[in-house]
Amino acid sequence: MIISWIYWVIVVLVILLVVRCLYEEKSLREQLVAAMVLIPLVLRALFIK
Amino acid sequence: MFEKKNLGSGFSATTILIITAVLIFVSAQSYLEMRTPDPDVDRVVPANGFARKKLSDYFDGLKETPADTDVFIQQGEEPGGTVLILGGTHANEPASTLAAVLFLENTRINQGRMIVVPFANIMGRTHTYPQDGHPQIYHIKKEGSKSRIFRFGARVTNPVHQWPNPDIYIHPGSGQTMAGVERSNLNRAHPGRPDGCITEKLAYGFLKLIQKEKVDLAIDLHEASPEYPVVNAMVAHERAMELAAIVTMELETQNISIRLEPSPKQLHGLTHREWGDHTDALAVLLETANPAMGRLRGRTDEELILTGTDKAYRKAFDLGQLYIPYEDGTEPIAERVARHVAVVKELAFNLEMVREGKGIDLEGVPDYDKIVDLGVGAFLAD
Repeated sequence: MIISWIYWVIVVLVILLVVRCLYEEKSLREQLVAAMVLIPLVLRALFIK
Repeated sequence: MFEKKNLGSGFSATTILIITAVLIFVSAQSYLEMRTPDPDVDRVVPANGFARKKLSDYFDGLKETPADTDVFIQQGEEPGGTVLILGGTHANEPASTLAAVLFLENTRINQGRMIVVPFANIMGRTHTYPQDGHPQIYHIKKEGSKSRIFRFGARVTNPVHQWPNPDIYIHPGSGQTMAGVERSNLNRAHPGRPDGCITEKLAYGFLKLIQKEKVDLAIDLHEASPEYPVVNAMVAHERAMELAAIVTMELETQNISIRLEPSPKQLHGLTHREWGDHTDALAVLLETANPAMGRLRGRTDEELILTGTDKAYRKAFDLGQLYIPYEDGTEPIAERVARHVAVVKELAFNLEMVREGKGIDLEGVPDYDKIVDLGVGAFLAD
């Protein structure tokens, strides 16, 4: 279904933005927050959860 | 604390990213285990005489889809009626599956036919609800150190198989509106449609099964939260009400108390309404009470699934908020399965009273007291 693939593209885009944020962030706490956000996003992008 | 010192750096980002990748890998393994479980998980050992078919034998549209599920049929020597026992419509209602498995592994049919589907929606068995904290499996203990293992899944189809759901689900047959998530709920998708979403196709498969096998009595097994009014109850379509009333009285004589509820005519998508309206079968739905499903529960683990013991529910009972007797603070799985088994047996035994020539005679299935005393495991194969 096309909507699933649109969703997948959005998820991958957000993952890339979060990873960029992880590297640009100077606060360790914010880096940890970004990492926590990544976990469900990657599991979704891989169609695991 | 971290912000002040600005401890974040490229090195820390890379380290965190590696740790995150490990966590993702471990989580993924755990989630994927539910999709391809060990061969011992959800294993069934049908009694002699059961033939194994697939639901796709009745509706081709399910072939090679994740919805296709096993259908077991046993034909007695003498002709009679046909009973369908559906377990596992909702994978988070273990007494439903276990009662169906108990029939599958113990029944010998002398007259009539029995059809058993232990895992009606296997797409619900491949995941658990986020944030519900349910264990993925539970063990039914047998003698010694042996046990049988079953998956504890979710009420709805795994979003991996069916996504997205709308905000509002419009039931195709009736136009009734429901919450969007109900589109993934098998017991809101009946009678289904051949070109609908995968859950609706699954429901359509059961409609075709009932029609092609000329089922006389169709029983859908469930569990619900103790604070929900329809527990320890039988919901019957109006054509099944006479049989259900007979059985309710019979059970009272055995000290098994059960509420009898008429199937609401305006509540669509459920088995007791749609099977009754669209087939010749007498349709009933049975409910027991499962504290592991309820919103009031505390610690959620395998123990809660098996014993139903929960302090918060005991408190709720004291406050008059439950619809089950909970004086001892337990609702064991053996009692819940025994209740389902007792009701199904009585429905089958009394079918001849309302459908001449459609009697069902079965043996080998234990009584209520025996299941409660010895536990479910005593009646499951090794």
